[in-house]
Amino acid sequence: MKRLTLIVLMSFVLSLCAANLFAADTFDLVIPLPLTGKQAKFGEMMKRSYEIAAEEINAKGGIKKTKLVLSFEDSGAKPETARAIVEKLIDTKKQPIIVGEYTSACAKAVAAVAEERKTPYLIVASADDDITRQNYKYVFRQNQVNAHYADSVIDFIQKVVKPKTVAILFESSNFGTSGADAMEKDALKIGMKVVLKEKYEAGSVDFKPLLSKVKAAQPDVIYMVSYVMDASLLMKQIKELRIDAKLFAGGAAGFAIPEFIDNAKDAAEYAITATLWTPQVKFPGAKEYADKYKKKFGDFPSYHGASAYSALYVTKDALERAKDWTPDGIRAAMKATNLATAFGQVKFEDKEGYQNQNFADTFVLQVIKGEHETVWPEKYASKKYVYPMPSWRERR
Amino acid sequence: MTSVQLEVLLQTLISGLLLGGLYALIGIGMTLIMGVMKIINLAHGELMMVGMYVAFVLFSSFHIDPYLSVLVAVPVLFILGVLLQKFLINPVLKVEAIIPENQVILTVGIGMVLANVATIIFTSDYKSTPVDYATKAWYLSDIWKESPIELSLSMPWSVSFLLALIITALLWFFLTKTDMGKSIRATAQDKDAALLMGVNVERLRVFTFGLGSALVGAAGCLLLPIYYLYPDLGGQFTLIAFVITILGGLGSTVGAIIGGIILGIFESLTSTYAGMGWAPVGRFVIFVAALIFFPGGIVSILKRKRFGK
Repeated sequence: MKRLTLIVLMSFVLSLCAANLFAADTFDLVIPLPLTGKQAKFGEMMKRSYEIAAEEINAKGGIKKTKLVLSFEDSGAKPETARAIVEKLIDTKKQPIIVGEYTSACAKAVAAVAEERKTPYLIVASADDDITRQNYKYVFRQNQVNAHYADSVIDFIQKVVKPKTVAILFESSNFGTSGADAMEKDALKIGMKVVLKEKYEAGSVDFKPLLSKVKAAQPDVIYMVSYVMDASLLMKQIKELRIDAKLFAGGAAGFAIPEFIDNAKDAAEYAITATLWTPQVKFPGAKEYADKYKKKFGDFPSYHGASAYSALYVTKDALERAKDWTPDGIRAAMKATNLATAFGQVKFEDKEGYQNQNFADTFVLQVIKGEHETVWPEKYASKKYVYPMPSWRERR
Repeated sequence: MTSVQLEVLLQTLISGLLLGGLYALIGIGMTLIMGVMKIINLAHGELMMVGMYVAFVLFSSFHIDPYLSVLVAVPVLFILGVLLQKFLINPVLKVEAIIPENQVILTVGIGMVLANVATIIFTSDYKSTPVDYATKAWYLSDIWKESPIELSLSMPWSVSFLLALIITALLWFFLTKTDMGKSIRATAQDKDAALLMGVNVERLRVFTFGLGSALVGAAGCLLLPIYYLYPDLGGQFTLIAFVITILGGLGSTVGAIIGGIILGIFESLTSTYAGMGWAPVGRFVIFVAALIFFPGGIVSILKRKRFGK
C-alpha cells in the first residue's frame, strides 16, 4: 500500500516537472482589459485583435520559436481591479511585460504599479497626457496622446472650415477633461474664440438645456469629447434642436466606432471625428488586418483594435531583440523600437515633456451616407469631405 | 430679455417639463409602496431596468415598439413585484429584528441580485432600441412662419410624457373610484383602522408592491426610446425616485407628480444657467431643502392651505 502511494506521488511530481518543461516552450501573456462594464465594447474589439495577431505570430513560428499564449483578465474598467490584476501578474506570475488596458484611469493605475515594480508596460489606447509625463522609465505608449488627438481635425478646420468660434462639450472624466483642455489651447493657437466650454456627467438623459445654450451662443464649430452612448445622444438632440453649426466634430473615442452610427442613425451624418487609424490607411498589414477582422466579426475595427493588433507585434519585436527576457532586458529593447506596423511607424521618443511616447499621425473621419470615411489628410482620403453640409431643415 | 434669451428659457422649460413628467411616473411607484408599507423600496430603479429589458427583448426579437411593450412589461413587472413581496419581503416583515428597517436592506439586496442577473443574461454592454422616430420633432417655425424664435418639441419625448400622464390619470381614477383603490388609500392613512374596517392588509401590501413595480416598469418602457440601457442603470433612478418621494411627501401620488415636475424643471434650469455638471448637485440641494424646510413634502403645504381656510 505504501509503495502504491509512493508511485502515485512520484508520478504526480514527474507530471508537474513535465508541465514545467512544456511551459518553457510557451510565452504566457495575460492582458488586462475591460470585458464587462461600460467600456466592454472597446475591450471586446481589442481582445479580438490581440487574438488575430497572436494567431498570425504563432503561424509564423512564434517568438524565437516560442509559442505565444494569450489569456485575458477582465478589469471592468475599474482602476482598482486593473491594479490588482497587474500586481498579481508581476508579483506571482512574474510576467516580464504588461500590455493592455483601455481607459485612461485604468492605464494610470497600471502604469504606477509597473513603474514601481520596474516592469515595462505598453499602453495601447489610453490617451490622458499625464500618463507619459511623469518621468516613468518603464511605461511606453503606442497611441497618440490626447493633446495631439485633434491635430488633423485642427488642420482640417483651419484649411477647410475657417471658423471664428467654437463650443467645447466634454464628459467629466480624465479623458474628457484633457481632450477639452487640448482643444482650448489649439483653438487659441489658430485664433478661434471659445464661446462655451462645458462639462457634463456621463450617462445624462437630457442634454437639451445645455444644447439650447450652445445654440444661443451660435458657435461655428461644436467640439465634443464623449464616449459612445453620450456621443449618439448628443447628436440626436442636436438634430432635434436643429442646431446648425458649420461643423460637428468629435474627439475620437465615442464618435469613431461603428456603434455611434448605429445608435445616432441619420443624426450622425456629416459629423467628423478625430481618429488615430482608419481601415483605409496605407500602412503595411493594415488592410489585411482590417479585412480579416471584418470577415470574422462583420464590422471594420476602429483604431482601438488596430493599436491592440500592432501592440502584439511591437511586443514580439522587443522580445526578439531583448538580450534576455527579464523586465530590464525587455525595457532596453522596447526603448530602441523602430518598427513599421499596421498602426504606422512605432518608435518611443522623449520629447515635448513626454517620455517613451510614440508620436503618430492622426486622421479625420466623416460620416458620409452612414459610413465612416477617411477625409483628411487628403493623401489618405477615401472620399472627398462634404463641406459645407446642409442645414438640418434641408436634410429631412 | 432678447429673443435669443427667451428662446433658451422656453426651450429649457419645455425639456424640463417633459423630463419632469417621466420623473413623476418613476417616482409615483415608489411613493405608493412607501405610503402603504412604510418602507423605502431601494430596488425601485432595478425594477425599472427589468421593465426596460422586457421592452428591449421584445424590440430586438419581435420588432415590437417600446411603447407597445408597456402592455407586456406592466403585467410582467406586476407579477414580479407580487412574488417579491409575497416570498421575500412579507416573511422578513414578520421576523423580530434588531433593526426595524431590515426590509429596506432586503430591497437593496433584491436590487443587486436583479442587476447581476441582468449582467449575466445580457452582459453589461449598452443596449438601445434605435427606433425610426427617435429624432423626429415638431418645430414652431414650421407652424408659424414669422416666428421670431425657434422652439422644438421632440416627438418621442412628448409621446412618453403623454403616456406618463395617461398612466397617472388611470392610477388616480383607480385609487379614488374603485373599492380596491380606496382600501389602498385607507391602509396608507391608518393601517390599524383599515384592518378594523375589514381590509385585508396583507393581501393589499402584496397588491401594492405589484402595482408599484408595474408603474416603474411602464416608466422604463417610456424611457427606452429616448435613452439607452445597461444593467447598472437602476441606481441613479432609484435616487431620483427617492428625491421625488421626499419632495412630494411620503405616500402622496399628487405630491409625486408635482415633485417630479419641479425636479425636472429645476434640473433643466440648473443645466442651462449653472452648468450641466451642477445638475446632480441641484437635485440634492432640493432634497436637503425639502427635508429642512417642509419635512412633510409638497403635500403637507397643500394640506395646510386647505385646513387654514
